[in-house]
Amino acid sequence: MTDDSHRPVGGDLHRLLDAAFAGVEMTPDAQDLKEEIRANLLARVAELEAAGRSPADAARHAIDELGDVHALLDTPGAPATGSPMGWEEAGRRHRVRPKPRFVVGIVVAAFTATAGLVLTVLGATGVLPLPIGIMIAVLGIGATGVAWIVGDSLAQETTTNHPMPASRAGGYFLASLLAVYGLGIGGLVALGALPMWAVAFAVPATVAAIILFAFLGATQTNRNKAWVRALQRTQPPMTNRFEQEPETAARFGIYTVVVWTVSSAVFLVLSFTVGWTWSWVTFLGGFAVWMVLLARMQFRPSR
Amino acid sequence: MPEKSDSDTFPASDAFAADLLRGHTDTIVMAVLSQGESYGFEIFKTIRMATGGDHEIKEATLYAAYRRLERDGLVESYWGDETQGGRRKYYRITDAGRAVFRGNVAAWITTRRIIDALLDVKDTTP
Repeated sequence: MTDDSHRPVGGDLHRLLDAAFAGVEMTPDAQDLKEEIRANLLARVAELEAAGRSPADAARHAIDELGDVHALLDTPGAPATGSPMGWEEAGRRHRVRPKPRFVVGIVVAAFTATAGLVLTVLGATGVLPLPIGIMIAVLGIGATGVAWIVGDSLAQETTTNHPMPASRAGGYFLASLLAVYGLGIGGLVALGALPMWAVAFAVPATVAAIILFAFLGATQTNRNKAWVRALQRTQPPMTNRFEQEPETAARFGIYTVVVWTVSSAVFLVLSFTVGWTWSWVTFLGGFAVWMVLLARMQFRPSR
Repeated sequence: MPEKSDSDTFPASDAFAADLLRGHTDTIVMAVLSQGESYGFEIFKTIRMATGGDHEIKEATLYAAYRRLERDGLVESYWGDETQGGRRKYYRITDAGRAVFRGNVAAWITTRRIIDALLDVKDTTP
């Protein structure tokens, strides 16, 4: 289709669309709606013409099918439902109690995670003489506990959030598992409890976890409930800056990858030059930088 | 996909069926979007195909649904980068939308059973 064959149709349609929007105050919202409708109508007109209608007839028919646009814009964005309600009251009204199964599961997982991680540390520091195989297994149990807490919490419906779909929650479970396992094995190597070759497992696991976290974060969509959004529009709460400014969230994501990549690289270099005794400090530094970054970017003082 | 309402031969029941269908516009749109991202005309076509062209949902009704769904955070929209024609506004379902959709489908199944029982419907083949 060339531009020329399109123009006469477009002309008719655009004029009719203008007429349909006559008397509507052209707010940015109304302008958006008009552009959206325009693109869809053009597609509909093309379909009608393909079915053998004349261009002018097709345009008129498409507009007729559309219906009344004024009704769409009479209720602008938010008809302020329950705006006098405060956050506490609304929270009480929409309260969702955690499921007993979830609470029991979290307690068990927390216990398992603590036991696993404490045993690993005891084994690594030599307080408890554990063979290498057992230590790796115990660390795995601890990591699974932590990952379970993350994944299962996300899959729960809360007072303010809808539950996350199982597949996505599973992704967070896997990412957490890899992160804790990877960092844990790295820590054990640093403490001298595991031989150097174990780094071959620690680094890929950690990198995979970072990539998975970045992917999950970048593709995350809204989970807030409608009442939360309605309240946020009328009375902004302690604002989550990453939600309001996606570009800031994206920047934070990039910084995060940079910080951890550099940390990992420095860690490796130091490990092979200075030695294992001190190279782990890199991760401590990386973590500190990362937290400061988070604090600076998420909670910037409002001007 | 939502149920096809069986379009029978009585003209009076057409309005009833259309009303029933319209009452579920939001859920139907979420059903279409849970199959993948889409834009207005494509969503319209999908619904039109499912209804067999009978008592289809009006486009204005759909635009109202998009606006409601987006306001409640159940769908997100973004502008496509088409160079020809107009730029399309695409919609994708959010995690919140998926959760609400699942709940609505469950509610529909329960309600359908209740109404079938109340109306004494013998043949319940969907």
